[in-house]
Amino acid sequence: MKSRMAVVGVGQTSYKRAHTELSSADMIWEAAEKALDDAGMDISAVDAIVMGVAPDALAGENGVEKTAIFGAGKPYVRVNTGGVTGSSAAFAGASYVGSGRAKVSLVISLERMGQATTSQQVFNTIFDPVYEKDFPLTTITMAALRASLLMRVYGYSERDWAEIASRNYRNALKNPLAHIHKDLSPEDILESPLLAWPIHRFEACPMSEGACALVIAGESSIGDRVPAWLQGMASTSDAYAMGDRFHRPEGTLVDLLSLRRSAERAYADAGVTDARKDIDVVELYSPFSSAEAMTYPALGFCAPEHGPRFVQEQFTDLSLPSFNPSGGPQAANPVSATAMVRIAEAALQVRGMAGERQVPGVRRAVATGQGGATQFSTVCVLGTERPD
Amino acid sequence: MPIYIEGVALEISFADARRNLSELIFDTVRASVDDSGREMGEIDSVVLAAHDLVDGRSLSSMVTAPAAGAYLRDEIRFSDDGAAAFAAAVTRLEAGDNRRSIVAAWGRSSEHDPDAFSRALFDPYMTRPLGLDEFVLSAMRAQLCLGRDEVREAHERAVTRRRDAAGRNPRALKAGGFTSAPHFPLDTGDMPLWADITVSMVLSTEPTAIRVTGMGQSSEPYLFGDRPLRSIRSLSQAADRALTEAGTPGSAVDVAEVDGLTLIDEALGLEAVGLAPAGEGMRRLADDPRANPSGGGASGYSRPAMGLLRIAEAILQLRGQAGPVQLDGVRTALASGSSTVAGQTQTVIVLEAA
Repeated sequence: MKSRMAVVGVGQTSYKRAHTELSSADMIWEAAEKALDDAGMDISAVDAIVMGVAPDALAGENGVEKTAIFGAGKPYVRVNTGGVTGSSAAFAGASYVGSGRAKVSLVISLERMGQATTSQQVFNTIFDPVYEKDFPLTTITMAALRASLLMRVYGYSERDWAEIASRNYRNALKNPLAHIHKDLSPEDILESPLLAWPIHRFEACPMSEGACALVIAGESSIGDRVPAWLQGMASTSDAYAMGDRFHRPEGTLVDLLSLRRSAERAYADAGVTDARKDIDVVELYSPFSSAEAMTYPALGFCAPEHGPRFVQEQFTDLSLPSFNPSGGPQAANPVSATAMVRIAEAALQVRGMAGERQVPGVRRAVATGQGGATQFSTVCVLGTERPD
Repeated sequence: MPIYIEGVALEISFADARRNLSELIFDTVRASVDDSGREMGEIDSVVLAAHDLVDGRSLSSMVTAPAAGAYLRDEIRFSDDGAAAFAAAVTRLEAGDNRRSIVAAWGRSSEHDPDAFSRALFDPYMTRPLGLDEFVLSAMRAQLCLGRDEVREAHERAVTRRRDAAGRNPRALKAGGFTSAPHFPLDTGDMPLWADITVSMVLSTEPTAIRVTGMGQSSEPYLFGDRPLRSIRSLSQAADRALTEAGTPGSAVDVAEVDGLTLIDEALGLEAVGLAPAGEGMRRLADDPRANPSGGGASGYSRPAMGLLRIAEAILQLRGQAGPVQLDGVRTALASGSSTVAGQTQTVIVLEAA
């Protein structure tokens, strides 16, 4: 990042199984209007619009984002990078600002999966239809594969997954936008049905609809608005085949090499040298509680072998960052938008505008994106201090 | 910060049973990197344009991005036209996010149904039951444009010229392909030749012989009733921005590679970018050698590769490497790319030879 810019507006719809009362365009407009209102701007101040929508099959309509074009006459492009669609769209909007081609960009992500009666089948088509067809690979079993590997290699227990999930659900009780509002204890979670061992139902994310929008402004357009400065942004793409990520020297399947590489670059830009001390809030795109554990070492919070201990430390060491104060994806997972929601929630925390879920004294927050069977990773660092 | 083109490659084929989509992509991206003279280690960004519904699987970039060189690189995929991906790559380089980027786009018409793709663009409750597809809009435009005798006469010559140009273009599809059934008053000669297309280029911040001098993008409302049919407003706006940035009037470009789904759309596109006055686009397509010398949609067509294909043909003209369709003295080139629905979003790129 060479140019200074900040998130100055955040808008979100609520997240729920289906917004039956809203069209796709309604959802996009609601999030966009809220973000523009938050920024104290109208559409005329926006120079470029970046939309994020992942599989068309979930919406039942090809190019559904284009039904909602507003501010016609402006650049309007669509990003589709699966789970990282929201953060990729935000990064693309930031590039327009950083290039000087836009003073202000509006980025919006939409998830419309409530329209599909076959969401899980649509997700399952991310895997190869020929070579992997006979292998019962789904988005759930692929996560279970990783969870069992983490347990075997690093000593995590089913209890660890339940405790992480319980913390996320309890945080979500303070987030009025969350899809799931349930006070679930670790015992409740362990008693929920098994989806694919070792993953229980309440350790998995829900299927949610919703839209999220951000207004990203270059330094000269920030004025007296409250900024969440974009201090570092990085994206990394990995190999497709999970088998190619098992036995390589750079890192195994559960070492999340793509997230680690992204964190290294984003932290370098942001001046983060000690993640445990320099970061106050972490908003993780971890659709399963076990997937959250993979991020701890990748983001520099602990050594891989100390992961299980780090789960417990979060409950006792108050100097550690707060993880998912919004509740994270287990409380709402509008897939195309989820990675943008992470940035939105991090921005709200940095701006001191997170309401009841606000963490006191936040100076720097990290938001991650994860997509494509952990193939794609993004890291975004936001803070109160203007970058050098 | 000026952005330059270091390498370019394209391939138009049809139902090549020897290679799967990833292999087609790899071959073209590899050729563009070889053309650039760079090593993969010198490339830090990959920007893609691809549609899941064309590639035939959800989040198709999982399997295609590695073939395009994305392994452990900063990669992003746009479900938009290739020219829009090109523009996004330019912004990433200008912003200092990257130093050198692959931009690639593809579409394999032999393995998807372009008409079904087009019908799926329409609202499933209100407009899809009417049987609308994008060719309907092109046909409505044709009804408005082909009313005058002189336009109909120019139209016949434009069809012939486009077909001849595609026949001389060594990169055009020579065998296979198919066309959709034309809606009245469109004729077979107006229709695109569905093909398998892969395009790739390497963009850099380091000076080379080809520079990006202008870039513009714009968009139109979703509903056709909210758009003028007789002109393409978003393309005019995008072209104005790109040409203003380049400091070049549209009439002064040496070659224009303008994307359009049908010949009618190409004619309106020429008018929108300023290479032809209003109502004269078809005549220019028939007579002006600067207009789509590659043969346009007759040389092969597949979404969302077309904008990047048009840019690639423009680059080859600037390099003097266009072969039998090469024009003399090309110093400035314009290329456009459009995206659904029916050119709702547009990107225009102006390039210059050093």
